[in-house]
Amino acid sequence: MAIIVVGLSIGMLIFLLAAGLTLIFGMLQVINFAHGALYMLGAYLAYSVAMLTGSFWLTLVIVPLMLLVLGLVIERVTLRPIYDADHVYQVLITFGVVLVIDEVVRFFWGLSGRQFSPAAFLVGSIDIFGTEVSRYRVFVIVVGAIVMTALLLGIEKSRIGLTVKACSVNPDMAAALGIRVERVRMMVFAAGAGLAGFAGAIAGPMLPIQLQMGNAILLDCFTVIIIGGLGNIRGAIVAAFVVGMSRAVGQQWAAEWVDVFTYSLLVLVLLLKPEGLFSKKERTA
Amino acid sequence: MTRFWTRDFLIALGLCVLLLAAPLVTRNESVFFLLSLIVIWSIFALAFDFCFGRGGILSFGHAAFFALGAYGYTWATMDLGLGFGAGLAMAILCGAVFAVIVGLVGQRVTGLYFALLTLMLAQLLAIIMVTRLRRFTGGDDGIAGVPRPMFGGIDFFETVNFFWLIAAILLAVVVTMHVLNRSPLGQAIAGLKQNEERARQIGFNTARLRLAVLSISGAYSGLAGALLGALLMYVSPQLLSWKVSGDVLIMALLGGTGTLAGPILGVTLFELLKEVLSSYTEYWYGILGITFILCTIFLPKGVVSLLLGRDKSR
Amino acid sequence: MSFSISRLARQALLAAGLVGACTAAHAQDTFRIAGLVPLSGAFGILGENMRRGATIAIEERGGEVLGVPIEVVWDDTETSTQVAIQKATKAMARGVDMIFGEASSTTTLAIMKLAEQRKVPHIVTLSADDRITGADKSRYTFRTSNNVAMEVAALLAFAKNQNLEKMYIVMADYSVGRDLAKILETELPKNGIEVVGTEFVPIGTSDYAIILNKALESGADGLSLVVVGADVATSLKQGADVGLGEKMTVMGLMLMDETQGMVVGERGSVGINSTLRYHHTQDSDRNRDFVAAFVEKYGELPNQYAGEAYDGMSWWLDTVDATGVFDKEAWIDAFEGSVRDSSVEGLKVMRACDHQAEQVALFGTAVPDPSGELPIVMEIAESFEAEELFAPCE
Repeated sequence: MAIIVVGLSIGMLIFLLAAGLTLIFGMLQVINFAHGALYMLGAYLAYSVAMLTGSFWLTLVIVPLMLLVLGLVIERVTLRPIYDADHVYQVLITFGVVLVIDEVVRFFWGLSGRQFSPAAFLVGSIDIFGTEVSRYRVFVIVVGAIVMTALLLGIEKSRIGLTVKACSVNPDMAAALGIRVERVRMMVFAAGAGLAGFAGAIAGPMLPIQLQMGNAILLDCFTVIIIGGLGNIRGAIVAAFVVGMSRAVGQQWAAEWVDVFTYSLLVLVLLLKPEGLFSKKERTA
Repeated sequence: MTRFWTRDFLIALGLCVLLLAAPLVTRNESVFFLLSLIVIWSIFALAFDFCFGRGGILSFGHAAFFALGAYGYTWATMDLGLGFGAGLAMAILCGAVFAVIVGLVGQRVTGLYFALLTLMLAQLLAIIMVTRLRRFTGGDDGIAGVPRPMFGGIDFFETVNFFWLIAAILLAVVVTMHVLNRSPLGQAIAGLKQNEERARQIGFNTARLRLAVLSISGAYSGLAGALLGALLMYVSPQLLSWKVSGDVLIMALLGGTGTLAGPILGVTLFELLKEVLSSYTEYWYGILGITFILCTIFLPKGVVSLLLGRDKSR
Repeated sequence: MSFSISRLARQALLAAGLVGACTAAHAQDTFRIAGLVPLSGAFGILGENMRRGATIAIEERGGEVLGVPIEVVWDDTETSTQVAIQKATKAMARGVDMIFGEASSTTTLAIMKLAEQRKVPHIVTLSADDRITGADKSRYTFRTSNNVAMEVAALLAFAKNQNLEKMYIVMADYSVGRDLAKILETELPKNGIEVVGTEFVPIGTSDYAIILNKALESGADGLSLVVVGADVATSLKQGADVGLGEKMTVMGLMLMDETQGMVVGERGSVGINSTLRYHHTQDSDRNRDFVAAFVEKYGELPNQYAGEAYDGMSWWLDTVDATGVFDKEAWIDAFEGSVRDSSVEGLKVMRACDHQAEQVALFGTAVPDPSGELPIVMEIAESFEAEELFAPCE
């Protein structure tokens, strides 16, 4: 039972990040290397908000909003001016953003790590079918599931989702139809950043809040979006669970081999089905 | 066919000569050390750009070729007791062979997916080298005591002398690359970048061309890695970090891709900025980031475009 | 480009001008220290505190030694051996009188080789790998702080005193960790403690929940948790959720202190036992002065990285000063066998045979901070004398 809860909670956290990453890719065709940095910034901000307000719940509301606004600014200032350039340059610019965010965090919070506690009833463990599992992890799974459902409905059923899809499949056509593609791009990037901030706030009580936390998780997210297919949100869901569960199961039986196994799987996916295991779309690149 | 003495080539040569002339201006050893780093990373950036700027193949995993070159040199000189020349040959071979393997493995994969594949292969190699091949790689500790060359009665442990040697190697790299670019093979590679489909229809074997691009780039990368190992007298699997692949990409793009002068300029700028900024402020890291962002926005063709102007012939 | 080169050249000339043309002349102008510590990356917090501790040692003597001003250049090694080697090579090209650092043992071992080649004294105050003063020992490198062997000895003694019966081992998967696991697996049974399981975990693992769960379900009453870097906080924080510290006696090397407590939080930290290199409550005149100076300058209590850095640097500078000559070899001869009865940790003896300081080892337990300022404070649970930990020099 513990394996399932742990695996699912890892998967949910990675999903929150990978969803933003894959949405941004689908819309902008850019791999956002700054996603890990945004997540880290989110965690630090959550720490400060928790300290100032004393409320865990407020962090889950305020931090995503702050990151959303930051996402708007980043898109407008860095990515928009090089909209027409080769995508490699947009990747390069996200590298630059990573450096700046790292410096900002070091400037305001220093080098020492931070921690904060969740709401009192989420502390400690709970008994599920005879095994003790962390209450907070169960909470992460529940919250993750809610966000996941909302995202899926939003993208596949709502008008906004339709607009986003139109813009990513054929931006010229969308523009001709009167959709302001630039604005949609900006919103998608900001939404991704907001999700990263949310993930950071959620991760705060579970993982250490440290400068390098973003780098560590970014590679996991790449794994998920590759296996799921770049730009494919449904694929990302399945892939996040595959990765989360394989981490948990792998640690139970062969902790030393988890990394080797993960990367081998990735190489295989890229070779046999580069568009991702769960995509029916044509290759985009 | 354009003229041989293109502006780009001349600028690249000029940069090499400037580097070579540095010992006439200063005798400060730490300056030579910095310049040595610039020379080595220039070779690496040129190698990367041969792949990306000339061949149009994006890679996030060039660190693998670089690191294997460093290890190839180390194994040849320390375990097999071979000389400097043989060590470099081994490095070049290791870099090229692994590049061919990557190329063969990723034969059906193109574009961004190929770039991600190179990243994952490099990560896989890194993990295996750190945890499974400790006996050969020194694990996390790496291997210290990598030798520098010994010949002609020159003491290459003096950084100045070693610097002269590697600056000459950079010069050779620039010249051979220029000749290569102008050769029929180079022209075919340029065609591959412009339009792979058309190149195929004209009758080129594009799969083989891609392998050629990768192996040449891997060979030069391996050479650079070997020289870094000799300069630092130390190698470790940290050379395989994705940050190394990222750094070389940043430097090449900062300078300007598809040119000879660009990567050298990019490396020089990157290293000097780091050096100067970090001696003045603790916040050099962030300033470096802002510089990248500004350069990418305002100099999309790289710093070299300031020098090349509208000269299309390069 | 030409601008940059000429600028570099000018900087170089300027430096040369300040320093003087020949080394003998410069040697008497300033005492030049290269501080090679990580100031960014995973070990940034360690390096920053080492810098602070060493700075107090320099300032308390008015910034002078042998009658000349001390000039320290702190180089950020970015938690990378590769970068550290570059900075070390550059520092030696600059011509320094001593090297101070690094934090990671891997990096320190690599820097030692350079120091030996260039014959520059090298003081180590944190890296604990036995090879530094063992298989790879060098005339130019001294360690003024603990080594792994004595920490393991302390851990074994602590486990025995706790009357544990069964031990589970969770070990970071790197060369030193593999060796450590072997030592624990052979030595624990000799003390009547059965080892019921050993798990090697890759460094940088982001989730320890499953592994800690295995430890909990193994039936062991003790857990030796030996992890490094960010993994310490990850594992303890995740252990808190399942009440690890309450259900098992958790112990480790450098596993917990006040700094770590800030990352892990009170819940995951209380009850965790760990070796301590230094603690600000240690009872000595020098320590009281040091703690006061540190608090005044930095507004917080010194942690173990700062304390050990201060102790090593001040001991070395005092020894250098006492020689009265500007001669690196003479300093080394004087430091070999040097006896420091006034160190912050009481008596320390620099062994001539391997350049390892003989000193006490501490074992601490995390308890809630009575003042409520920090999540936890460390309480010294046991202290082991040097005689229990070291075999005499041969």
